[in-house]
This record gives sequence, structure tokens and C-alpha cells, in this order.
Amino acid sequence: MDNLFIAATERSPEVAFDAAAGTLRIKGESYPEDASQVFGPIFNVLQDYLGQADGNGLKVDFELIYFNSSSAKALMNMFQMLENATDVDIVVNWQFMADDETMKEFGEDFSEDLEHVTFNLVPVS
Amino acid sequence: MSEGTGKGGFSLFDAEERILDGARRLLDRMKDGDPDLLAEVGVLADAYSRSVREQRRLVKVSDRLQNQMTQLNQELARRRAEAEEALEQLRQAQETLVQTEKLASLGALVGGVAHEINTPVGIALSCASHLDDSTKAIRALFEADDVGVDDFERYMDTAADTAKLIVANCERAADLIRSFKQVAVDRTSSERRVFRLADTITETVTSLRPNLRQGGHEIEIACPADLEVDGYPGVISQILTNFVMNSLTHGYADGRRGRLHVEADRGENDHVRLRYRDDGQGISEEYRNRVFDPFFTTRRGSGGSGLGLHIVFNLVTGPLGGSVVLENTPSAGASFLLEFPRVAP
Ligand SMILES: Nc1ncnc2c1ncn2[C@@H]1O[C@H](COP(=O)(O)OP(=O)(O)OP(=O)(O)O)[C@@H](O)[C@H]1O
Ligand SMILES: [Mg+2]
Repeated sequence: MDNLFIAATERSPEVAFDAAAGTLRIKGESYPEDASQVFGPIFNVLQDYLGQADGNGLKVDFELIYFNSSSAKALMNMFQMLENATDVDIVVNWQFMADDETMKEFGEDFSEDLEHVTFNLVPVS
Repeated sequence: MSEGTGKGGFSLFDAEERILDGARRLLDRMKDGDPDLLAEVGVLADAYSRSVREQRRLVKVSDRLQNQMTQLNQELARRRAEAEEALEQLRQAQETLVQTEKLASLGALVGGVAHEINTPVGIALSCASHLDDSTKAIRALFEADDVGVDDFERYMDTAADTAKLIVANCERAADLIRSFKQVAVDRTSSERRVFRLADTITETVTSLRPNLRQGGHEIEIACPADLEVDGYPGVISQILTNFVMNSLTHGYADGRRGRLHVEADRGENDHVRLRYRDDGQGISEEYRNRVFDPFFTTRRGSGGSGLGLHIVFNLVTGPLGGSVVLENTPSAGASFLLEFPRVAP
């Protein structure tokens, strides 16, 4: 099972997936020209991992400061994928700046359709 | 910008596309069934298909707007950085000018010093050579064994008078050198110490005497002899020098003789109040709130750089931690009031 690390660019977040630890972190800003280019690789590793998790869980940390609409759409797809993996224990930590009401609301929105995934809103300052 | 299948190999609207495919297959399977039902499901499928198209369009538009906003923000940040850099350059240029101005005023001071010391030294020198002449004369008489009582008495008088003058003038020169040295040292180093305000004022005024005497101006000092300040005598000296030089250049340009005043006293809360005023031409209403601005001068072109009072302002609000205002005076002339803590911050 492959790890994945993509360094942040001016317009895309840092991505760090550790297959052995079962952790994924997405951190920074996301307003790329082509959201599928940024999120495609993440989807691929997730799909592989979730398909053969074999009792291992997954923890996903989102530390996003800003994202555009197509990134939001990609995130929604990602949450759908997580929600559908009912045989894997999944925890999502949605981190946001305590004074960033918008980012908090996005988190609440995303969590709405989730039942099987544990979704934590994590304010930081 | 693309929300379709990108290099990552997936579509943002993958799920929606699959549902649309499903709807198409469903309609296909229903095509031989109830035409009413088929029509209704067809309407639903159409509506959903339109809605997905609309979503794609909205995402695209919204992405584009967000992009523009980001670019604008970057442009804004760039412009701001440029403006800040320009401001910093300006500040440095100003700093350089201020330094130059300080050096120039030190140069003027040194010129004044030379002039001032010349006088007592000149007197002492001529007294000494007069004494020398008299001594040679009396020696010649003595060697010719021809000294009369009158001659000797006259010589004794001359010797006593010239010696007294020499001592007095040498003392005067020594005094001058001492106070100039103090002012110059204080001026170049911004050293902090405890000092008697009256001494610093007097020393500064002494160093300005040559300039004052030229126009026949008088200066009066009123300051308690025991008022001690813990701070920067060089700064006080620089401030007073700027005030006095301003009075001379702006207040009495018409050649009138001026009366200048320096008055200092203890104020409230262990503060010092120091007023400087002249009885010259004064500062007209329209300039009153600009005189402390850097580069404001009414003598541009004839040697004014407009930094004198700006430096004063910076020195008072900076090292002294106090305030300075141009006072409204009923009588003619300019009057500045400084207030600063007796113990500098
Ligand atoms: N005692 C005064 N009497 C009349 N006008 C004054 C007096 N002091 C200052 N001013 C006015 O305030 C202006 C600003 O003074 P400031 O000392 O800042 O600049 P400056 O004397 O013109 O130039 P610089 O001191 O740099 O050679 C002067 O140009 C003058 O018009
Ligand atoms: Mg001036």
C-alpha cells in the first residue's frame, strides 16, 4: 500500500497520506485550476485503502483555510466515499480558525449527510 | 478550469453522471410501458439533468470569481508592499537629511566657537606683547643704569594691568572652551545623564552668542538653578539651538533687534515646562499647524530645508517623551511650549 505526499503550492493544499498509520491530512488552501488534478490522487489512494482496510481504521485531518467551489464539490464527493465505506472505522477532524464562522459552517454542512463517519469540529486559535 | 474528467482521472460530477445514466437506462426499460408514467419520469430525468448542468455552471462561475478575487488580493498585496517600500525609502532619505542637518548645525557651532574664542585670545596676546615691549624698555634702561623712579612705577602699573587682563581673558577663553566642549560632546553623543537644566541652557546660549551679537539680539534665561533633569542635555541643546536660529532667520529678517526668552520651571507631576519665545515677526495663522511638518519652510530657495522644527518635534516626543506646541500669543512673536517628564522615559 503506497503512501502519498504532495507538497502545497500557492493554490493547492499539502496532502499527506500514511497507509501504515491509516492517516490522511489535507492542509492549506485549495483553489486550483483543476480540482480533479488535486483531488484525483487522493481519491485513488483512499479507494485502494478503503477497499483493503482489513479492520484498520482511518483518521482524516482537514486543516483548510480556504477552498473554492470545485474543491468544495470534490470534498463532498470525498465525504460520500468515506460514508460508503461502512466496514471501516473513520474519524474526520475538521479543523478551523475559531473566528472563521464560514469554515465552521462548511464543516457542519459536510457532516450533515454523515452517519457512519465520526465527524469532529475542532476550533483552533 | 475544468470540472470534467481531469488528469487525476475522475469527474467532480461522477455520482450525478452515474445517476443520469441510470435514469436513461430506466427510461429505456420503460419505453414499452405506460406512456403517462414514461412521460412523468422523463420530465423528472430532464429536470435533474438540467439541475446538474446548472450546478456545473455555478461551480465554474464561482471558481472564476474566486480566482479573480485571489488575483485582486495578490495585486493589492503587491501594491501595498510597493507603497510600504517607497515609504521606507522616504523615511530613510528623511533620516539622512536630518543627520546632515545636525552635522551642519554642528559645523556652524564650530565656526562660532572659533570666532568667539578669538576675542579673549586676541586681547591676551596684545596684552602679552605690550608687556613684552615694556619689559624690554625697562631692561634697556636698567642695563644703562638709567632707571628713574617714575619709569619703574609706570612699568609696575603696566605689568599689573596687563597681567590682570591676560589672566581674565585666558579664563574667559577657558570658560568658553569648556562650555563649547560640553555642548559639542552632548550634541554628538546622545548620552543620558543627570544635569542642571540651567547649566545646559546657559552653555547653549553661550555657544550661540556670536550669532546673537551680530544682530544685536538679547536673550534672557529664567530657570531655577537647582532644577535637575535626568535625560539628554544634548537634545535640549539641539532644540534650543534650532529655536534660536529660527528666531534669527525668520523673526528678525528685517534687521530689528530682538529679545529672546528661555523660561523653564517645574510643572505638575514631576514634569518640566520650558517655554521659548521671541518678539519677532511671529508665525502667520495659515502656517501655524504646519510648522512641525517635515520640509515645511517659508524660505525654500534661500537656504531653508524645513527640518528644524520637525527635528525639534521628534526630539521632544522621542527621547524626551514629552510634547511641544506652538502657542497662541496675544503679543507679537513666536512662542513654543515644551512639557516633558523631569526623568526621561
Ligand atoms: N521664531 C520664528 N518666527 C517666525 N517664523 C518661524 C519661527 N520659527 C519657525 N518659523 C516658521 O516655521 C517654518 C519652519 O521652521 P523650520 O525650522 O522647520 O524650517 P526652516 O527654518 O525654514 O528651515 P531649516 O530649519 O531646515 O533650515 C519656517 O520656515 C518659518 O516660516
Ligand atoms: Mg529652522
